[in-house]
Amino acid sequence: MKGRSLKPEVKSLAFGGGLLILLLLALLLATYLGSERLSFFALTDSQAAILYDIRLPRVLLGACVGASLAVAGASLQSLLRNPLAEPYLLGVSNGAALGTMLAFVFFAQFEFARPLFAFAGAGLATFAVYRMADSRAGMNVERLVLSGVIVTTFLSSIIVLLTSLLDAAKLRSFTFWLLGDLSQATRGGFYLTFAVVVAGTAILSSQARALNLMMIGERDAFDFGVEVSRVRWIVFALASVLVGSSVAASGSVGYVGLIVPHLIRLTVGSDNRLVIPFSALAGAIFVVLADTVARTAIAPRELPVGAITALIGAPLFIYLLRRN
Amino acid sequence: MSDKPSETGKLNSAPRGLRRKVFVSLLLLLCALALAACRDGGYNRPAEPAQNQTRDLADDLGRKIKIPERVERVVSLAPSLTENIFAVGAGDRLVGVTEFCNYPEEAARIQKVGDTLNPNIETIIALKPQIVFVSTASQLEAFMKTLEAQGITVFVTNPKDLNGVLANLQQLGEIFGTRERTGVLLNELMGRILAVDEQTRDRAKAKTFVQISKEPLFTIGKESFLTEIIDRAGGVSVTKDVPTAYPKISKETALAFDPDVIILSESPDNLEPNDVFKKSPAVKNKRVFKINADLLSRPSPRVVDGLEQIAEALKQ
Repeated sequence: MKGRSLKPEVKSLAFGGGLLILLLLALLLATYLGSERLSFFALTDSQAAILYDIRLPRVLLGACVGASLAVAGASLQSLLRNPLAEPYLLGVSNGAALGTMLAFVFFAQFEFARPLFAFAGAGLATFAVYRMADSRAGMNVERLVLSGVIVTTFLSSIIVLLTSLLDAAKLRSFTFWLLGDLSQATRGGFYLTFAVVVAGTAILSSQARALNLMMIGERDAFDFGVEVSRVRWIVFALASVLVGSSVAASGSVGYVGLIVPHLIRLTVGSDNRLVIPFSALAGAIFVVLADTVARTAIAPRELPVGAITALIGAPLFIYLLRRN
Repeated sequence: MSDKPSETGKLNSAPRGLRRKVFVSLLLLLCALALAACRDGGYNRPAEPAQNQTRDLADDLGRKIKIPERVERVVSLAPSLTENIFAVGAGDRLVGVTEFCNYPEEAARIQKVGDTLNPNIETIIALKPQIVFVSTASQLEAFMKTLEAQGITVFVTNPKDLNGVLANLQQLGEIFGTRERTGVLLNELMGRILAVDEQTRDRAKAKTFVQISKEPLFTIGKESFLTEIIDRAGGVSVTKDVPTAYPKISKETALAFDPDVIILSESPDNLEPNDVFKKSPAVKNKRVFKINADLLSRPSPRVVDGLEQIAEALKQ
């Protein structure tokens, strides 16, 4: 209750600063820890290669993936006025996964095909859900979530069908990837997701005020002069791009889009001007730390990072649900 | 008679309708056993004493398996087992194999019963096999129980090293009563293994990385029989102390291994070394070798082909 004497703006600014410092610490820790010990002040050639070609791209990609998923989750939840709305629940992730998988099977030689197909898959899934949920009476949230569940399960079954048809060698690398795996991080992949997450977070933050009004109700927002359908399209499109780029780079890392915005709202309230940027920071911290565990827990072997985020995320979410 | 308690145990756990069936087959089995014992007493057949007996043979799970008097119809649920059964000269008794059983060519003409992980139980039962051969690598424990409840004998193999492969072949020779042919085969294989040993005895051991898949980076670990193969072929697997058989290895550690030689298990997603090796001596000195994945992944006589090819590669 110490914060009561402080102005809310100062308090949230301090919280944001704290998150930023935590993120820097998490990045430092993740860079320090790995399956190989590095002597940071006198790097040999191979240690330099480990640090710059393998560990840093992976740590930084993890941060971008975490931020992307958390921002996508936060904005979808505000738009749909449902704290359970998540890229997974709406089929966005599965659309991206199916797109990546098709690129993987048919255009294995073109590396750039994977993110493109992932965007396309995420976008098509979002569009399908949107059209199914849209009616003459306007967008109905229950209908939307239900359409999301249907599209998700439909896409899952196509993925299962494809993995059954693929030959064993391709299947092996793909099943690991489906669980969320950052081991294939490259500098190129990092640059792409970094550009996407910076632009995506900035644009979505610029729509925060409109999203705040839409959380009260779309009609009220309309009365306040918000172009409801335009905001809806911006959020859907950007969420598809954010999720698509992170799925293409690292497969399906679960629970980030659900748990991170939830924790942020519990701390700073539901003002999207704070929730969206803070979710980006906290999502990055969460995935960077989870991947550090994935890289070091049974080194030199590795765990899929998606298993770690789900292992932490699921019980934490149940705890939060029960507490409220 | 010492087996009776365990048989009764199975009876109690079986569904009621099945008990009679199992009991009848048990009786038949006992009769056959008695008959075989009589015969054994009657004749003296040192050449092939196993052929006309019903015997208990321990499988690789340590279970005593009753092997029928004459084994004429069997199903193999692993490509390595199909190869082994052909190698001991009993390929004509295979009535069912998996989709992955592609060697020898004749295996293609045998009825398919699904893949190693998802065999079709109905197809197998309809084929009326006396024995179904299973490898522990296929993880079919639940499936085994279903087959056994149908009165089909399941024989489990789990060869962990080169000796295990030879022992498995010998076992199969006994089961099918083809000891002579198996003996010739074992002699030939042992001769080739010893020749490789001879050849590699005084050679410096090359640090070898076996790449099973490029992305994500999978390799061989402590429990893979390839660790021993690499050692015999005159190398040392850099991942020989990593737990499990086929671990996903950290790229950092892989880079730090700095291997002299890279062996690629040849498959569509594994045709070149991972990027982390681009500065390794193996890539610099062009000591990267592709070996047919089937020779490296199947504990069958062809593993000796793999051994010879790796020894040849390490020599360069």
